[in-house]
Amino acid sequence: MSKTTEGEAVQPPAEKIAEGDLKPQTESKVEAGVEDKKPQAAETDRAPKLSAAELKKRKQAEKQARRAQAKGAGPSTSGPPTQQKGPAARDGPKQQKDAKQPAKEGQSRPLPARRRPSQSEVPVLEKAKKEVKKETKQQGLFFGHLYNQPRQHSMVGASKDVHPAVLALGLQYSSYVVCGSTARMVSMLLAFKAVIETYQTPVGTSLARHLTSHHLSPQIDYLRSCRPLSISMGNAIRWLKDIIIKIDPSTPEAQAKRDLLSEIDNFILQRITAADELIAETAAKKIEEGDVILTYASSSIVEKTLLRAHNAGVKFSVIVVDSKPLFEGKRLARDLANHGLKVKYLLITGASHAVRDASKVFLGAHAMMSNGRLYSRVGTALVSMLANDHSLPVIVLCESVKFTERVALDSIVGNEVAPADELLSESERKDLLPLKPFLPKSVTARADEKDKSEGGEEAKDSPEDVLKWIVDSPNLQMLQVLYDVTPAEYINMVITEYGSLPPSSVPVVHRLSTNI
Amino acid sequence: MDLETPTAEHPPTQSFDIVSTYRDLLASDPDLTMPVAAIEALVEALAHSTVSTVAETLQLLERHTNTLKASIPNPISLSAGTDLFQRYLITTLTRPSSLGGLASVHLGPSDDFRAIRNHLLSNGRLFVERAKASRDKIASFGKHFVRDGATVLTNGGSRVVGALLRTAAESSTIRFRVIYVLSPSTSSDSREGLQTVADLRAHNVPVATIPDAAVAYSLGKVDMVIVGAEGVVENGGIISRMGTYQLGLLAKSKGKPFYVVAESHKFVRLYPLSQFDLPIDQKMLDFKVAEDKNFESKDKAPEDGTTADLCFENVPSKCSGQSADDAVDFTPPDLISGIITESGVLTPSAVSEELIKIWF
Repeated sequence: MSKTTEGEAVQPPAEKIAEGDLKPQTESKVEAGVEDKKPQAAETDRAPKLSAAELKKRKQAEKQARRAQAKGAGPSTSGPPTQQKGPAARDGPKQQKDAKQPAKEGQSRPLPARRRPSQSEVPVLEKAKKEVKKETKQQGLFFGHLYNQPRQHSMVGASKDVHPAVLALGLQYSSYVVCGSTARMVSMLLAFKAVIETYQTPVGTSLARHLTSHHLSPQIDYLRSCRPLSISMGNAIRWLKDIIIKIDPSTPEAQAKRDLLSEIDNFILQRITAADELIAETAAKKIEEGDVILTYASSSIVEKTLLRAHNAGVKFSVIVVDSKPLFEGKRLARDLANHGLKVKYLLITGASHAVRDASKVFLGAHAMMSNGRLYSRVGTALVSMLANDHSLPVIVLCESVKFTERVALDSIVGNEVAPADELLSESERKDLLPLKPFLPKSVTARADEKDKSEGGEEAKDSPEDVLKWIVDSPNLQMLQVLYDVTPAEYINMVITEYGSLPPSSVPVVHRLSTNI
Repeated sequence: MDLETPTAEHPPTQSFDIVSTYRDLLASDPDLTMPVAAIEALVEALAHSTVSTVAETLQLLERHTNTLKASIPNPISLSAGTDLFQRYLITTLTRPSSLGGLASVHLGPSDDFRAIRNHLLSNGRLFVERAKASRDKIASFGKHFVRDGATVLTNGGSRVVGALLRTAAESSTIRFRVIYVLSPSTSSDSREGLQTVADLRAHNVPVATIPDAAVAYSLGKVDMVIVGAEGVVENGGIISRMGTYQLGLLAKSKGKPFYVVAESHKFVRLYPLSQFDLPIDQKMLDFKVAEDKNFESKDKAPEDGTTADLCFENVPSKCSGQSADDAVDFTPPDLISGIITESGVLTPSAVSEELIKIWF
């Protein structure tokens, strides 16, 4: 603890940058209405803090880091030592172990938990690293290992090779504008199409060798720094790299690029568009007259299925269960209601009531693990367990591109943490403001002090203060994980484009779909 | 493909009655199961027709399959056979490389197609023979599950179960007892059950016969449960005669192993989620109130008159729904310990893998 405070005292700028980085993203949160006004405010907030000198420093450090990486031994030499001397030393050995096998890990396993902080070249600043250390210390508990990569919410510090389309996409990822495993994968492939279109092989190399390692990797690293890659994205990247490598070096560049673009189009068509069509067709048949379908959060394929059954004239109603802070189900409920479906909307706190009325549960997936477990939006496990308890059939709709050969036993080892301050919406923060007099003196004093030291405007009642209280209170941690793992016993059926399967057959289909 | 041939072909194919062929086949050979009889009938139909293209063959097959399915009340088990045959046909016809490198069937001269057809016909017969032989194979696998001194609980008139128990009885090393659940009615199902009971008793195997209601009562004395199946579905559950599900539930609650014996041609591409998710229309549940009573006997008599339905004729108010004789239920995979097939003993989850192997 003493070390943390010391760090703060010595290096106030670091603190400032941290806040500046967090802001745009806290505000561009889900609720569509709020979204428009806030980012500007954040910009103005941040502008004075990031002085020109700061930026310069940043760039220098970044350059250094890149040079270090180019040397090859980059991550393993520069990564662990700095970490170990920090207060988060207990995490040290583990991360060091991770760092020992850099190439393989980074490319074939896009699981957030497995990544090293030093791997992406984006904010490799020392300062950034110190922030992480502080955070890890504070946010430890069971999920400490997931905080090893700071989230990037701006394009500051992105490598110059990153294509504008990818830059834009990255921001859309980090602000959840593009959200959902399928949507993220498709938009990534479309952005890569733009990247490949403008790509020109430098003299002296071949496309097959240069494109993946030198041109595509920075793009992927940037996307990863914005939000950890989804399983489907990892699968798509692996597929793309594979076909690029297999390009015959004698193919003329224009031809090769054209082939690649059409291959990508085909991939999207086959693995997503056509697969969705098939899945929706199969799944819609499972909806019968008078059914009450329960679904959690929002999945594009579930929506498609429900609409398809509705358009076929089947009379059924839907219960959408949703949760903070993304409120993805809101849009789903509205869309379904606009199409004339009867929809009931409630939050996960009322899930036990919802399952009592439901007759079937349809769930979307982020990924299906090889042990038949479902990796999906946090809260899914709760809903499916409740449903199983009421012996309702739980049906997962999932394209085979989201299958992975990895297994998950719990949702702690592999998960994605989002910044915890997203948990409190703007209005909730406002509601908390009047509670200030009840706070312990130490917290308020420190917050005030910091206000002053920032040369602060005396905007005492800004909702941002609430976040500061939380950050400053030593014993309170806020945790926002994005996914959880549903045991296979609670899943009755997985519908894929290959047909309906029990969850135990996921590895079989995965093998099948990757071999073709 | 010329357009004239199909019209020329139509009269003979129409005259071929697939349903009666199927019924004759089933009647002539008591050992034949429904899916195999269906396949045999289809092979027969193919032999009678003079189709000359792949598309026509598939069309013909489709038409026959549909008439066959429509003609019987419960086509689940039958569809296992027809689907399998159709799948087999498609793979052989679209991958003619197995026939010695015929480049393209669709464009090939009629001679080539005739060769393919003959190949199909002979292979179809081979399949039927193999399917019949599989019962003995299952019996030889399954008899090892019957331990010395064990008491086996079984139900229905499954021929595979009968064969298995007979094989076990014939081997002199195993002494075991059988508790046989018999339905009170005189359907063909229970007749076969009685036959098995008589056979086993002749082999010096002590057999007790009990009604459905006594299953839970006798479960304490039981070491294992063996049942047959009409169809094995994708998630590893089974569709079997009414009463199997409750047998499974009871066995699970008492921790008794519950084995299913079924030939692998009974694997159906079907994924029921519950009892009421089967693709057949069963009227087991028929809710009535007092006012209906007068009409009931009049209404029901013509409907069910064809079957020997004691339930309705003697005691009209006893069961309002369909009689349990032809009805089936679905036993979910979590109640099943193992499925004994001719290709080995599978866990329920392996069924879907087998099906995927056939279909992709």
